[in-house]
Amino acid sequence: MDFLRKTLNKIKPHFSEGGKLEKLHPAYDAFETFLFVPDHTTSSKCHVRDSIDLKRTMGTIILALLPCLIFGCYNIGYQYYLQFDPGFISGNFFSFFNLFLYGLIKVTPMIIVSYGVGLSIEFAFAVFRGHQVNEGYLVTGMLIPLIFPIDCPLWIVALSVIFAVVIGKEVFGGTGMNILNPALLARGFAFFAYPTKLSGDKVWVSDGYTDAISGETALGELATLVKDNVPTEQVNNVLSNFSTEGSYSLMNSFLGFIPGSIGETSVLAVLIGASILLMTGLGSWRIMFSALLGGFFMASIFKLWGANPFMDLNPIHQLCIGGFMFAIVFMATDPVSAAQTNTGKLIYGFLCGFLGIMIRVFNPAYPEGIMLAILFMNVMAPLIDHYVVESSIKRRMNRINI
Amino acid sequence: MEELVNIFIKGVFIENMIFAYFLGMCSYLAVSKTVETGVGLGAAVIFVLGITVPINYLLENYLLKEGALSWLGARFSTMDLSFLSLIMFIAVVASMVQLVEMLVEKFSPQLYSSLGIFLPLIAVNCSILGGALFMQERQYSTIVEATSFALGSGVGWFLAIVGIAAIREKIRYSNVPRPLRGLGITFIITGLMGIGFMCFMGINI
Repeated sequence: MDFLRKTLNKIKPHFSEGGKLEKLHPAYDAFETFLFVPDHTTSSKCHVRDSIDLKRTMGTIILALLPCLIFGCYNIGYQYYLQFDPGFISGNFFSFFNLFLYGLIKVTPMIIVSYGVGLSIEFAFAVFRGHQVNEGYLVTGMLIPLIFPIDCPLWIVALSVIFAVVIGKEVFGGTGMNILNPALLARGFAFFAYPTKLSGDKVWVSDGYTDAISGETALGELATLVKDNVPTEQVNNVLSNFSTEGSYSLMNSFLGFIPGSIGETSVLAVLIGASILLMTGLGSWRIMFSALLGGFFMASIFKLWGANPFMDLNPIHQLCIGGFMFAIVFMATDPVSAAQTNTGKLIYGFLCGFLGIMIRVFNPAYPEGIMLAILFMNVMAPLIDHYVVESSIKRRMNRINI
Repeated sequence: MEELVNIFIKGVFIENMIFAYFLGMCSYLAVSKTVETGVGLGAAVIFVLGITVPINYLLENYLLKEGALSWLGARFSTMDLSFLSLIMFIAVVASMVQLVEMLVEKFSPQLYSSLGIFLPLIAVNCSILGGALFMQERQYSTIVEATSFALGSGVGWFLAIVGIAAIREKIRYSNVPRPLRGLGITFIITGLMGIGFMCFMGINI
């Protein structure tokens, strides 16, 4: 610690005003504030005293993401070995650690690429434009690997990160100014630009090559039933997977032993993350609650409608499969791109959940509806806010009677 | 009924005039600085589309299309006046816009002045003529279907301009890089909104 402090103090003059490397000051500043509590004090008169700052906020959110990451790593190993021997779990041959290690080896390169590429762009922009490096990317950089399929090539991850950070964030002026959630934008970009690498039945299981088991996500399986004239045999076949003994049973979907993007499969891990966010007050309970309500509402309508086997799924089960829970806890609650007003948050969350389930069922081409629904609602959030503010102004104007 | 709803939803989200066809971009970019003017112009576009497309539909089917004149007698049944359709459509659109202009001036002078030149320019707004031409090309079977298509496209255009206006109000104080300020960032926002709207692509109700 002492050594670091001394080194930083030694090189500080080069980076401060008048020094040789004055232009690189934002980069130095980022490292210093990352390692130590900075000695800057507020110079203007009015400010809010709060023990929490952006760095601590981001740190807590990453903490909340860890359960998903750890379980994701484990699940990758689990799915990988499952394809060789569907019955291996009964033999209890592989320990937890083995499976976890396999997943960790697969996931680490994605995390490194995501952070490496994203942070270098952030630093480049900060140096070039002369503002501070913000910590906003720390969370985005962790979210991006968690929402990609494990077999996605690293260059796609890198390209999506570049697109999301430059077009989605930096052109608007950096952290806190973006209109779309950068992590979802990266996912959306990759999804539309390289659809074959981000959907289908080959990418969800690491090195999946056998046809012995289906490597399709639960949503992808169900989406095949939406087309006209599906043979009854196939319907029964798929639906048997969703019964209590099947591979996508309610229990498996809740615990997360199903193929899917790295971090999204386990509802349990997401709930642990959600409780951390809620206890620390970093995630908005309004958005989470109303999104859950919206999703449940739509799923119940579908259940009553029951026009095809996808709609007929139990609403709770419907919410547990796919990335729905992960998205409403970690994506929809993004404080920048979500609605800002309290009433707006309720409306925004409800529509996120509602549209998410709707797109998933109506649009077999895009089984992961919640991602697109949140992107769409991000676009509409400022409009919701505008009208919430307008209506409250109107109400108060009436009250004062002028 | 289901078909009508389908056409309407398609017009609003899937075949959105702005994000799928890039029609009517000029007024969309120019008048989207505040939500109020956006709402005004969007409502005007809905109104004009909702009136001109049915009228043009009648013109198309009883005057212009090949065989449309057969109601006059057997002699006219082979006549094809469709070469006149562009000029007829434009005439209808221009007269309707005149009507809208008079209405807005009478009922909301404030909106009239804030819309400025863009209100008469609805006459040459691509999405209005585009609506008529799409109607001709897609050959809707009844006038109700054509109207529902027109209203759907209008609402889609309305949603697009109001959405971008709210976003532009939100980012007014953002530290956008200098070369991108103004129109540049608006184009980028439009592209990002397009990604948002892509979620509806391919839905068939």
